[in-house]
Amino acid sequence: MKTNLFKVYKTGLASLTVIVGLSFLNTGFAEEKADTKGDFARGAKTWVENCVRCHNVRDPKELRDDQWITTSFHMRIRAGLTGQQTRDVIKFLQSSN
Amino acid sequence: MKTKLTSLACFIGLAISSNTMAQTEIEKLRSEVDALNKKAQEWEAYQSVKQKMEQDVSLLNDKAKEWEEWKAPKTLVHLAGFADVGYTDRQDQTGSFSFGGFSPIFHYQFADQFMLEAELEFEITEAGKSEASIGYLTIDWFVNDYVALVAGKFLSPLGQFRQNIHPSWINKLASAPTGFGHDQAAPNADVGFMARGGYLMQSNNSFNYALYIANGPTLEADGSEIDMIETPGLGKDGDGSKTVGGRFGMFFPDSKFEFGLSFATGKVSVRSGTSPNYSYDASRSYDVAGADFNWRPAGIDLRGEFIQQEYGAESSSVAPDSGQWQAWYLQAAYRFSGTNWEAVARIGEYDTPTNSKDVEQITLGANYLFATNLVGKLSYEFNDNPNAGLTAADRVLVQLAYGF
Repeated sequence: MKTNLFKVYKTGLASLTVIVGLSFLNTGFAEEKADTKGDFARGAKTWVENCVRCHNVRDPKELRDDQWITTSFHMRIRAGLTGQQTRDVIKFLQSSN
Repeated sequence: MKTKLTSLACFIGLAISSNTMAQTEIEKLRSEVDALNKKAQEWEAYQSVKQKMEQDVSLLNDKAKEWEEWKAPKTLVHLAGFADVGYTDRQDQTGSFSFGGFSPIFHYQFADQFMLEAELEFEITEAGKSEASIGYLTIDWFVNDYVALVAGKFLSPLGQFRQNIHPSWINKLASAPTGFGHDQAAPNADVGFMARGGYLMQSNNSFNYALYIANGPTLEADGSEIDMIETPGLGKDGDGSKTVGGRFGMFFPDSKFEFGLSFATGKVSVRSGTSPNYSYDASRSYDVAGADFNWRPAGIDLRGEFIQQEYGAESSSVAPDSGQWQAWYLQAAYRFSGTNWEAVARIGEYDTPTNSKDVEQITLGANYLFATNLVGKLSYEFNDNPNAGLTAADRVLVQLAYGF
């Protein structure tokens, strides 16, 4: 049973590698249209839904605009956010601090 | 004579008349001079105000430029991190004040393409010495909206606790779950290369992934038994084979539910000797499997995690038998409505190849949130293992944690 579990995991690893490989081609699941400025409403929703997956929600007024940029990119890595979600969250935080 | 007198009178009359006209002219000129003086004074006042305003505008331009530099330079610098202090009273031992740790995190970001992230970890030993280490140091390249490449020493992406929940201001109890501390069942860090990111589905659900290849762990033997698996992020691949692994997560925001599956596979070997003259015996199989979830129904924060590391048998090794580390926990937290108080309960278990280190643990806690990132905690751990001695003693922990 234990061996089977690891076989399943290794199959998953291979499948996921293919998915990530495809994403390099920017084909994947990209229904989002690039909005380089970010969207306040989408950002507020992403912020509320995702921050609490791990920690208490931080007050937008805690940091300056530039600090929210680095913090949001850090959280993009940690939470697995897309680039568009990150830009939306930055727009929301910079407009709310 | 009469004629002369008449001429003189005319002359005098003309002179008087001329003098009167001259006086009038002078008065007129004087008025004009006064008017010019007044205009000159007004001009000087205007010039003075103008000069002052130009100086103010110049100053404002400098300030605006300075602000723009802070707002949108190509390179951004930010210091974040966390720290905690506290008191620990272990059953049958004298309680001690403790400095849990100070972990500044440096962010250096170049445009929206690259970021250097580095977390330093400062601790004070029982002997009072300060120790510093690098928790992680990576350079991240944001290739596109869905992929970031991460290279360097990174926190293990297997599971959630080690990579995301361990900072003291995030962890809702004053200690890590049993088995999720350093060099226990959950891998801590690794040195290598990783791709990670996420996708947003049309249903608003999203999935996130992390895939890595790295040097992997090493084993420490005590006689003919494996005593410990070390996963601090080794700078050398002693077993000659890279470890590959990752985590796949799905998040359902409408249900406030996320689950993740983790896996890794590779080789591992027993390390002996002292730095820098380590030697490694024959390599053997190494596998990791894990699962985690978090769910927030009705304001209750529920999360749980399972992780398992195992190594295979190797007859030529000083410790030939196979073994397995396994740990799990379930945690529930609830913040009372309209207050800053939070109650937490956690149950967990840690199984090791060495039975004396096994722990069954229940932890209860009460927290006060001075702010969302500044938390006072009072936790009580019930630890149980009839073979474990002090390592399984109950503990009271008081902690003040600050995330910045």
